Amino acid sequence: MSTAIGTRSSSARGLLTNGLTTVVILYVVLYVVYSRMEAGALTASAFGDLVNNSIPLAIAAAGATFVILLGGFDLSVAGVLSLVNVVLATHPMDGAGGALMSVVIAISIGAAVGLCNGIFVAYGGLQSIAVTLAMMILTRGLALVVLDAPGGSVSDWISDTLTNSLWGVVPASGLVALAVAALWAIFRRTNTGVALYAVGKDQTAAALSGINVKRTKCIAFVLAGALYGLAGFMLSAQTASGDPNAGSTLLLLVFASVALGGTAFTGGQGGLYGSMIGAATLMLLQKVLFSSGVQSFYIGLFQGFVMVVAVIFVNVITYVARRNREHA
Amino acid sequence: MLNLRDESATAGTGFVRGEDKRGAVRLQRETVSAIGVYLVCILALFLSKFINPEFGSFHQLQTILTLASFLIVVSYGQGLTVLIGGLDLSIPSVITVGGVLAAAWVSTLSPAGFWWQIPAVLIVCSLIGVVNGLGVTLLRIPPFIMTLASGIIVYSICLGATGGTPSGAAPNSLSTLMAGRIGGVPIVNVFVVIFCAIAIFMQSRTSFGQRLYAMGSNATAAKIAGMRINAITVCTYALSSALAGFAGMMLVGYSNGATLRMGDSYLLPSIAAVVIGGSSILGGRGTFVGTIGGAILLTIFDMVITSLGLAQGWRTMISGGLILAAILLQHEGALDWIRSVGRRRN
Repeated sequence: MSTAIGTRSSSARGLLTNGLTTVVILYVVLYVVYSRMEAGALTASAFGDLVNNSIPLAIAAAGATFVILLGGFDLSVAGVLSLVNVVLATHPMDGAGGALMSVVIAISIGAAVGLCNGIFVAYGGLQSIAVTLAMMILTRGLALVVLDAPGGSVSDWISDTLTNSLWGVVPASGLVALAVAALWAIFRRTNTGVALYAVGKDQTAAALSGINVKRTKCIAFVLAGALYGLAGFMLSAQTASGDPNAGSTLLLLVFASVALGGTAFTGGQGGLYGSMIGAATLMLLQKVLFSSGVQSFYIGLFQGFVMVVAVIFVNVITYVARRNREHA
Repeated sequence: MLNLRDESATAGTGFVRGEDKRGAVRLQRETVSAIGVYLVCILALFLSKFINPEFGSFHQLQTILTLASFLIVVSYGQGLTVLIGGLDLSIPSVITVGGVLAAAWVSTLSPAGFWWQIPAVLIVCSLIGVVNGLGVTLLRIPPFIMTLASGIIVYSICLGATGGTPSGAAPNSLSTLMAGRIGGVPIVNVFVVIFCAIAIFMQSRTSFGQRLYAMGSNATAAKIAGMRINAITVCTYALSSALAGFAGMMLVGYSNGATLRMGDSYLLPSIAAVVIGGSSILGGRGTFVGTIGGAILLTIFDMVITSLGLAQGWRTMISGGLILAAILLQHEGALDWIRSVGRRRN
């Protein structure tokens, strides 16, 4: 099952076989289509809106990528997003200092949940999907305890600044995404970053070559949680209010983004950039469908098809590339 | 009962455990899991008496079994896909399809509904599973993605086709199944017991069931041994969808109508029931007996927590904590501890 991705040989790692390239091309094509339909699509403000809409999903998907690279699943993303959202909405802190404090709180909440996941999965040896399912339900409940119905409001400073554009061109939320991408670029080259891929590819081999598998797993869950926290912060900036179920609607989209970004669910292959652009593509697809007058009912239909087609496309290209290489 | 074989030789290497053990040892591990789940069930029932004396009565047990019946049916399909190393995330959408079609197609009065239209709905539902299976085998799409995508697609077709409000009411045959009684016992309880017996027999005693275990343990080896992996996979997903569709029909019979979100609350519990029942999410290990226990346990938890009269948030938190506790109890370390206690006694 699904061995085409899992056993892809490292020699077939050309530019074209890369899931990232596929999703970038898809995004550009969709944007061209979008610009044909919407007159204002090429303006900075339209692009800024698009970026703002995509950022919460993109950062959440970036976090989920850590765990999926390990070959695990992390469902707690839905709970963390909701929890951070209601905490920020019930405890607004104004001003730049307050915003900084809020980010720290948001990331800490996420990292704490991630640490629980990590300890149970890495050191307890429990199945990740089971543990994170329980943690998702727990955190969702906690979110309901904090705020039992949609309401509250996020501090104005956060909701204004982070949805605005700097110098009228650069969307502020985009900078947060860039910061995440930059940190990933550094992390990817650290020992832990390399270990993450090694553990995802082959746990036994990684352990035998001296990698601390448990520690690597735990770190991955904590980093994933921290990013969910950041995503929750960005989500709150967009919605400006609290909703104890804010994260639930994003759960499936997070995994869709990761799949679209070319990260293999078997672990050890893919990356964070793909997931982020995958998220942006899904949100862009929604816009394209809206502006083409498709009934909102059928948006799921297209999202599902795009997911499947993206995976098939990566599979086919991988297959062709491998055959060419073997024949050469 | 606890006179089990020593396996401590592999204790040092966490990642090799449970991979290369077949036959007797595997069954024993699963037996311990299943016994554990049922013990927790009994414990939960016993403790719930302190909250509400009504709990634990014969009538209460009937209600629990009735409420658990949906989850038991759905979890069987989920369990089979998990057994072969897959996962079925399309279940909530297929439940909705089954429910919506049953309410719309199956005639309320004529007996034709029972003989023709209900099987027709089941066939439509199983076709979704066939598509899932073909995507997983021929197109090599990871099961997680394939079933997630097909679930979204099917749901949005449902939403579009019904315009948001499904019409129709429960056909007679379904309301009889869910509300009727035979000799003082609800028909649905009898049905679930028969269903479980057939399901357990199929999973543990037939060659089809054994093939699923073989595939889940090692798909490559199963293929070399001459199994038709693709056909088996397609059958498994089709079965899972048909069962989800049937659960949808049962829900229609129970609540006398279909809603679009009727399946939503069964996806995560179906996975939870399978995992709590001692199955490995990686496939190749688990019994339906354990899964039934998991489904019943989740239902008891739900009822007890509801009866506590707490706010929604606290209820949700408690149920999350209980699931976590159940998973911890299922942990191999805990099982080994139980075994070592058993050994010492002998």
